[in-house]
Amino acid sequence: MRLLEFDYFEAENLEDAVAHLKKYNGSCQIIAGGTDLLTALKQRLYTPACLVSLDNIPSLKNIKEENGAIFIGAMCTLEDIINSELVAKKLPALKQAAWEVGSPLLRSLATIGGNICLNTRCRFYNQSSFWRSSREKCFKAGGSICHVTNKQESCVATFSADMPPVLIAYGASVRLIGPKGTRLLPLRQFYTDNGRFPNEILTGSGEILTEIEIPTPSSQTNSTYCKFRLRNSIDFPLLGIAVLLILDKGKFCKDARIIITGAGSAPIEAVEAREKLLQQELEPQLIDAAAQIAASEIHPMRSSFVSPRYKREIAGVVLAEALEKAGGIRE
Amino acid sequence: MKKKIRLIVNGEEKVLTIDVQQTLLEVLREDLGLTGTKKGCNQGECGACTVLLEGKPVSSCSLLAVKADGKAVTTIEGLAKGGQLHPIQQAFNEKGAIQCGFCSPGMILVTKSLLEQNPNPTTAEIKEAIAGNICRCTGYVQIIEAIRSLVP
Amino acid sequence: MTDYNFIGKRIPRVDGLAKATGKATYTVDVKLPGMLYGKILRSPYPHARLLKIDTTAAQQLPGVRAVITGEDVRQVRYAFVDTPRYPADEQPLAVDKVRYIGDEVAAVAAESEAIAEKALSLIKVEYEILPPVFHPEEAMQEGAPVIHDEQFEGTSFWEEWGVTEQKKAVKQNSAVNNLSGHTLISFGDIEQAFRESDYCREDRFELKATAHCQMEPHAAVASYDPLAGKLHVWLSTMGIFLKRYFLSRALNMPASKIRVHHTFVGGAFGGKIDLFPYEFCAAYLSMKTGRPVKIELDREEVFMTTRQRHPIIVKIKTGVKKDGTILAQDIKVIADNGGYRGSGPVVIFLCHGFSFPVYNVPNYRYEGFSIYTNNGIRGPQRGHGAPQIRFAIDSQLDLIARDLGLDLLEIMRKNVRKKGDVLPNGDQLNSCGLTECLLGAAEAINWQKKRKQFRTMENAGRYRRGVGISLCSMFSGAMYYPFASAAVVKLHDDGSATLFTGAQDIGQGSYTTLSQILAEELGIGIEDVHVVAGDTELCPIDLGSFLSCTALVTGNAVKKAAADAKRQLLESAAELLGVEDLTRLKAQQKTIFLEDNPEKTLSFSQAIQASVLKRNGNPIIGHGSYKGYPRAERYPSLAKGKGLFTGAYGFAAQAAEVEVDTFTGKVKLLKVVTFHDCGYPLNKTIVEGQIHGCTSMGAGQALSEEVYLEKGQLFNPSFLSYRLPISLDTPESIEGIVATIEPSGPFGAKEVGEGCVAGILGAIANAVHDAVGVRIYSLPITPEKVLRALGRI
Repeated sequence: MRLLEFDYFEAENLEDAVAHLKKYNGSCQIIAGGTDLLTALKQRLYTPACLVSLDNIPSLKNIKEENGAIFIGAMCTLEDIINSELVAKKLPALKQAAWEVGSPLLRSLATIGGNICLNTRCRFYNQSSFWRSSREKCFKAGGSICHVTNKQESCVATFSADMPPVLIAYGASVRLIGPKGTRLLPLRQFYTDNGRFPNEILTGSGEILTEIEIPTPSSQTNSTYCKFRLRNSIDFPLLGIAVLLILDKGKFCKDARIIITGAGSAPIEAVEAREKLLQQELEPQLIDAAAQIAASEIHPMRSSFVSPRYKREIAGVVLAEALEKAGGIRE
Repeated sequence: MKKKIRLIVNGEEKVLTIDVQQTLLEVLREDLGLTGTKKGCNQGECGACTVLLEGKPVSSCSLLAVKADGKAVTTIEGLAKGGQLHPIQQAFNEKGAIQCGFCSPGMILVTKSLLEQNPNPTTAEIKEAIAGNICRCTGYVQIIEAIRSLVP
Repeated sequence: MTDYNFIGKRIPRVDGLAKATGKATYTVDVKLPGMLYGKILRSPYPHARLLKIDTTAAQQLPGVRAVITGEDVRQVRYAFVDTPRYPADEQPLAVDKVRYIGDEVAAVAAESEAIAEKALSLIKVEYEILPPVFHPEEAMQEGAPVIHDEQFEGTSFWEEWGVTEQKKAVKQNSAVNNLSGHTLISFGDIEQAFRESDYCREDRFELKATAHCQMEPHAAVASYDPLAGKLHVWLSTMGIFLKRYFLSRALNMPASKIRVHHTFVGGAFGGKIDLFPYEFCAAYLSMKTGRPVKIELDREEVFMTTRQRHPIIVKIKTGVKKDGTILAQDIKVIADNGGYRGSGPVVIFLCHGFSFPVYNVPNYRYEGFSIYTNNGIRGPQRGHGAPQIRFAIDSQLDLIARDLGLDLLEIMRKNVRKKGDVLPNGDQLNSCGLTECLLGAAEAINWQKKRKQFRTMENAGRYRRGVGISLCSMFSGAMYYPFASAAVVKLHDDGSATLFTGAQDIGQGSYTTLSQILAEELGIGIEDVHVVAGDTELCPIDLGSFLSCTALVTGNAVKKAAADAKRQLLESAAELLGVEDLTRLKAQQKTIFLEDNPEKTLSFSQAIQASVLKRNGNPIIGHGSYKGYPRAERYPSLAKGKGLFTGAYGFAAQAAEVEVDTFTGKVKLLKVVTFHDCGYPLNKTIVEGQIHGCTSMGAGQALSEEVYLEKGQLFNPSFLSYRLPISLDTPESIEGIVATIEPSGPFGAKEVGEGCVAGILGAIANAVHDAVGVRIYSLPITPEKVLRALGRI
């Protein structure tokens, strides 16, 4: 399957890029690394008239720390993240998550911005145009039905990106630039929990994600990312859980964040599990209790190859592992 | 839409006018006749199309050729110099790491990049490095052995 | 072991450097001047009647050179199986109905791939949707939708070759709906034997369809020369003569008017034997346009529309004595062959044929059904029936061992066949190392110690370990078109030789092993052997690289051709040296010498030159040939299993150690052991490579590989979602080679590279049971199935 024709515009600055997006009125997309986009284009999931490249804007490739925050340019590749000493030192879970994305051959192309903007996925949607022609068009593809639920006007495609749960756990915000100017948005608010249009950009805001801003974590911060997948490379997460713990004396849980990917149409925060941990000493029984609570906080759909029941079971196991790792109880 | 790009392919400058929707894989195979780079899946999931872009292994089917403009690309054809095989090619052949050969160009290029970055990789690191390259023939055993044989 | 110069040595592949440098040309790399690109329009529906196809708009699209539909090729029928009993049921493009998602409806040739794709979108097809059926047991029922209702006749190549013993069309068993093939074989008295058994057990096992995953996608290039009336094709194939035969029948052209050219093959594993519609269409479109045409399938098309391994249901009842001696076995196999017959009748025969050489079962009944459904077509895949049946039989044997408190190893040891055994069909086991393989594998996996150790409390935590073992066997060639392999060895005046062989190196290393045989037999170096292969015009007939025949059948042909050349060479030398008794002459390292006077030597060059000059230009060309199975007249009856099957069986014992994560259900394969009786290893590196490939494929199919189907639709037509093993899944691997020296094999060699895909499945399933105490009856053993069996979800 070859790519269809499109125009290609290499923006020299962000204003140009925004103007170009506007000019094409919805039929224009940003290409970052392109690893995910090219497959989608080959499958004819989108047929843009134009792609806008940000390759010529060097400022989007910086990683720096300033005034208590770490700034990562949206065009940094996952390999840049893996190789950054700053990230390794201050945001170890982010390095880990980057290391587990896709395969080595994609990590040198794929960008953090692209991963944050990754569309939701579904076994009925991420297929070729021929494949999809066997069935009625699904809601995400512009039809009216969801093949997972058989309901009208609904989409339960799964959010499957690895970087966002970690970034949300770190309290990251994203900088967006659009026709109405620039705004800084907490990353969790970037996501809509709408399977069809899962984030602000995909809802058609005409914006571009330029930078991620992460408050430098305190020295009491312990963080990790545990990814569960059926194959340890060339695979999306079946479930990924980012855990961030603020531990006093290495054990007392002052604060916690648990963010789950692969379990819904957006990254999910396990709020009740967090409550369970707060102001408690982290020990095995508490971890098991929190893990069980988290499993009941997600409502996965059969948009992948495993049953929701299995996913819920795994959520508890993976969270327990993540808490043990973040709490220094296991390697 | 056409665009003129400049690639440094195996050390040689190539100036080409291409369609912007062409992938690097298509340009290498069709415009430059470098068919050593293979198309296995065309969606970044098998590694048969691996080339080195500025020394780093990438899936060339998942990269628009226009994005490689001005960059150095190494393909399998660029490894043997002056009729002299690269030691990795030699090791792959001696250790039985090549069967049908369709994944071999990609595997060999990934190995080159690995050993340049880490001349002394552990077996686990070797497995990680080739984790994006699928081989159906060898079960990876002799490929891993071939790479290990290059570690001092 | 005999001390050979090349046989048994770790000789690097003769085609390795071409492959390592990217110089090897595969079919996908072939590009001819003026070449058009073809694409195929496929049915999106699993079962539908074709009402109308309108190609007008596509024909008018600039750049389109030809559009064809079923109307153009109405009369063309072909299939992997084409006999009076099972007439060919495939057509290159659908005529009346489509029978699975992906069935071919129309084909286009255009100036570019993009134009061809655009043209497809302009073809309008009207379908009448018919009720489909997807499960073979439902399809067998009365009242199920009938998938094939057309009447036609079949002719086997046997009849074309004058063997007419087979009776005329046999009426199909009409009690079973959608039946595409039936096999019934029995010997002894099972009812009586079950009554005499101390213990009987009945189980049902199920295996899902799996994909070959050749890294090179299927492709064909065809170029028709109208002046010569000759069709040139480049195909990614396992057997050039079989393909040519299929093509000549489908195109109604004499075989000699078709030339299959050599290309390297990027993996096959059984999935590149059949004639495929894209190959026919490339040829037909080239003949129609007078231009070369290339059709290359997308990875999705490869998954959906080439071939898959048969999903199979196996029901077994086994009766044993207290000590584990097997008295009787009643086996019922149901294979789903999809919308067309594919190799359905063959796989249900081979489930028997590839398995019954393992245990001596005196009372036996085997019944196989292959059934049409509206799923994709199933065909041969490495082991072709062996993995399915071996998994079932050895899983059940492990259950019996557990029920009776016996050691599985002991039961196996008690029941395995031995050298000298004659199988119920008459095949003789002139070499059989099953017992040695079994004991070797058990020792290498540390069977006794680990079985005990894993029963202790230490193995009761989250991660639990277990070991398992299973056995397998495989043919070494059989009687199939063109029934024999031949070879020609041409000597050059510098003393080197060119081997002409029709065999295809599909990655298994046959060019190398055949070169070794030639070099050893003739007395030259490996570097002195030049291989010309895979070209129907240049090379003599060959069975092709399937049914594991290359080492034994083609190997023997090459050995004979080399011996023939050597005899001529020695005759020439004898004249020069004034020797009458040829046995006094030896040839080594391109030198001929008198055994009793080694000082007296002659170079090969001198002898060859002398032959040309003194024997009226005789350049020395050796010929050799070997029948697929010299004792057999014809192929055995698929329906009754009568007749001889193969000249030699390869055997293997395989063991596995696994670690099961009882929280997630993930099974990690820690170690695999294969002890393989391959007769004699022609090249140890290559034999080990074949074992690794087999075990990796088998392990994938045991643990993660499944063509995931819902309502005939394939949900994972990509390497992302079809999870075959990657480097990180590679276990520790131990290989043992048991050299039994097969008397009929070249230098004692027989099958390698196919059988040992089969034992690993049962070994893993038994190891999982050993680890966690539950049996998974269906493959693959997914994490979810494990958790369900453990009662965690």
